Amino acid sequence: MKDNFINLVKPLLPKTDYCSFRFVSKYTNIISATRGVVEPVIMSEDDGLMVTVFHNGGFGYGATSNLTQQGILEAVESAKEWADFSKNKLTYRPDLSKLKNQTGSYYTEEEDGWSKTSMKDKADYLLSVNKALKSQPTISNWGASMRFNKIETLFIDTNDSYVRQKISYLLPQIIASAEHKKEIQTRTFGGHAHARQIGYDFIDQINMVQQAKTLAEEAVELSKSPNCSDQITNAVIAPDQMILQIHESIGHPLELDRILGDERNYAGSSFVTPEMFGKYQYGSKLLNVTFNPTLESELASYSYDDDGTNAERKYLIKDGLLVRPIGGLLSSQRLDLDHVACSRASNWNRPPIDRMGNINLEPGEDSFEDIISSVEDGIYLQTNNSWSIDDKRNKFQFGCEKGTLIKNGKFAGVVKNPSYRGITESFWKNLSKVGNSESNNILGTSNCGKGEPNQTIFVGHSTPVCLFENVDVFGGI
Amino acid sequence: MKDYFQKISDKLFNSLENHEVLVLNFDAEKTDFVRFNHSKIRQAGNVNQATLTLNLIFKKKTLTSVIRLSTDFSKDSVLLLRTLYYLRREIPELPKDPYLMYERNINSFEKNIIGSKLDNYSITGNILDNCHALDMVGILSSGTIMKGFANSLGQFNWHESESFNFDWSMYTESGKAIKQNYSDQEWNQETFSSLVSESKEKLRVIDNKEIILKPGKYRVYLSPSALNEIVDMLSWGGFSYKANKIGSSPLHLMEKGEKSFNKIVSFSENLSNGISPKFHSDGFIKPEKTELIVNGKYVNSLVSPRSALEYSVNHNAAEYYEAPVSIHLNEGVINSNKILETLKDGIYISNLWYLNFSDRNNGRITGLTRFGCFMVENGEYKGPINTMRFDETVYNVFGDKLVGLTDKSQLLMDSSTYEERSTYSSTIPGAIVEDFKMTL
Repeated sequence: MKDNFINLVKPLLPKTDYCSFRFVSKYTNIISATRGVVEPVIMSEDDGLMVTVFHNGGFGYGATSNLTQQGILEAVESAKEWADFSKNKLTYRPDLSKLKNQTGSYYTEEEDGWSKTSMKDKADYLLSVNKALKSQPTISNWGASMRFNKIETLFIDTNDSYVRQKISYLLPQIIASAEHKKEIQTRTFGGHAHARQIGYDFIDQINMVQQAKTLAEEAVELSKSPNCSDQITNAVIAPDQMILQIHESIGHPLELDRILGDERNYAGSSFVTPEMFGKYQYGSKLLNVTFNPTLESELASYSYDDDGTNAERKYLIKDGLLVRPIGGLLSSQRLDLDHVACSRASNWNRPPIDRMGNINLEPGEDSFEDIISSVEDGIYLQTNNSWSIDDKRNKFQFGCEKGTLIKNGKFAGVVKNPSYRGITESFWKNLSKVGNSESNNILGTSNCGKGEPNQTIFVGHSTPVCLFENVDVFGGI
Repeated sequence: MKDYFQKISDKLFNSLENHEVLVLNFDAEKTDFVRFNHSKIRQAGNVNQATLTLNLIFKKKTLTSVIRLSTDFSKDSVLLLRTLYYLRREIPELPKDPYLMYERNINSFEKNIIGSKLDNYSITGNILDNCHALDMVGILSSGTIMKGFANSLGQFNWHESESFNFDWSMYTESGKAIKQNYSDQEWNQETFSSLVSESKEKLRVIDNKEIILKPGKYRVYLSPSALNEIVDMLSWGGFSYKANKIGSSPLHLMEKGEKSFNKIVSFSENLSNGISPKFHSDGFIKPEKTELIVNGKYVNSLVSPRSALEYSVNHNAAEYYEAPVSIHLNEGVINSNKILETLKDGIYISNLWYLNFSDRNNGRITGLTRFGCFMVENGEYKGPINTMRFDETVYNVFGDKLVGLTDKSQLLMDSSTYEERSTYSSTIPGAIVEDFKMTL
């Protein structure tokens, strides 16, 4: 979006109590190779605008992909009409004086390696990853892909705010399935976890070809392994499963719009109630969780949210004690609680709601080796492949791709289909060791669904390996 | 909008060079979304969006670009011609696509609407009037959906519909809830008022002290909505030809003939309700009905053109994801008016929630009860139950443990609005199942 475009649209901001224009320009490119064949390459360009109007106690929005002057004026009119209709009919009337002028920018630090690398080179690389995946004869399905997203937003409002942000992220993915006696086992890399704000050199860093060889070997090993047995045991959970555990049983239950009932018809509410902030012991004293939009390369790092609120790192849980919810500047006025900059929208065509950004479990002091050697009897769980939790974010059941038994502080064999279930309110109190910064991984998922109308958004989770006691672990049939 | 799509298609087709084929898919909607909480408006607004997918084919190579449109012809012409030029420049870099297939026969048809019948301010007012004394939360999505297909060989298809979908829940002060949905092409105040009255009565009935269930096996009634959640999980590869070949289908053992469902279970993909377009994104025309499971036996998969070439079989115009868009489960013989009597002692499950696989190889699924589930004792309502987690295989639910299906099915419109309003639907009866395993 060029400056002359800004100059053209700025006069279209209507004279209402408050109005903002949020332009979004999104570019997506997905390249994949499956079972040795390059699949149709997809590129997508998506430009649009959301107009938000608060006026006389009403609220409305108008969103359009028509960025001509006429299209923008029609969106303004829609927003004003809904604001007029909803006057005195709103769930709450926000204090607009809290919205201040914001001026600033944010850019992902990367050297635009994606566009400098040709489509052919990317496709050839993925074919070489495919070749490495099919290194074992019993591999029944294999594939690799790269997804690149670039999202540019421009936010202006009647407070004379001007915020420009450009986020680009990369999601590499690999899958290998092996079949043994009609039993199919799968190992993946990247699927739910490895999205980062990072340049194309990340592909070299992670060495997808080497990853592919390892995954293929692990899939074959898993397909011949025994089922995980039912047991109450110690579980050492790897970062690529911890990301899901944090996301579902800390991130979502702390979202303020859930606590206040907005999501009760769809994504659900929360076992957390407003009175619990500042008083409730969420987990053991080792549990420290932050809302941190400042960590370099993490997926949901930014300087401002989609309401133009300045973003900063804040504790959600400190020494196990629940401190504050994930509520945006306007939403948190409903409880008079401190806010975080989490009012986010999936695109120009959806309104901002309370959302996770980067929700991080802060590292502790134990090395990975020390944690494993401290376990007399237990299991090491890697890579999420199934997730389910109740509408109050309490009773959960998560499945992992790979389990490795631990006996007397040493690994003692692989088991397939490991799952575990528990209750959020008791589970985090059994957190007994938190890995140090060397075991910490910066991870992120690009597909968190929530909201009415529905929205899928990207969120980050940085986490070390963790040890939990008394976990209800079980296997397949 | 149809005229615009035709005009922009002609512009692009006239710009093609020798041996190039261009396939276009158009998706647009004009929707008002009104979100409610505590029977008041939480967020309300309008979304006006249009998208064109350009798939350029040249010498057995293909490249795709998805472009958001302004629907201003002169502005979009510049953008789309630039895109076409880019596709033309990049396509030689790519390898040939061995699984490329597109329709070469011409099958043009249209489904149009005449005039708008939905006044979304009036509908919203009616909702607020009927629910003002209640704790209602939900979403109204209402407006026009347009989908089009055109290719440079001369085919043109259009599918347009105007509809609303109001999906809502009502809560008591103690947190008990009932979920409802009202979707149609015209809003009828009397129909809606009667649905609200029905919700109020159900809410009054279930607003009692919760019965805490212990983990164990229960005889259950699964309402059409609850059963649809399980059917939805089958759609995660269960009916996909490719997923069955590569082993990621939860029904792969059934497809191999090693497992079966109860003989009363017959599934089909049935597009006769006209909710989903009948044209495929590569121009093929979808059959009105595809039998998937007949009398408990797996008979057909959904086969996309790509899978057809990869595995040397015939396709049935399934999209690349090979999942049903309008699944139909045949009714049974249980009298829908005597469900409590037939269930006798067990759990009435109105809704299930957040399902996922706990052992995909063996079709084992987990999930939770939600919204208005209650215990039945001796054929009578006993009291609401706490939220329970289940863990059960589809071979039990639709197999040996299936007591029967109800004699009436329900048309369930998908209220999903990720990126755009869904045109999916399902037609599902209720079911009584023995020994349904609750785990937590």
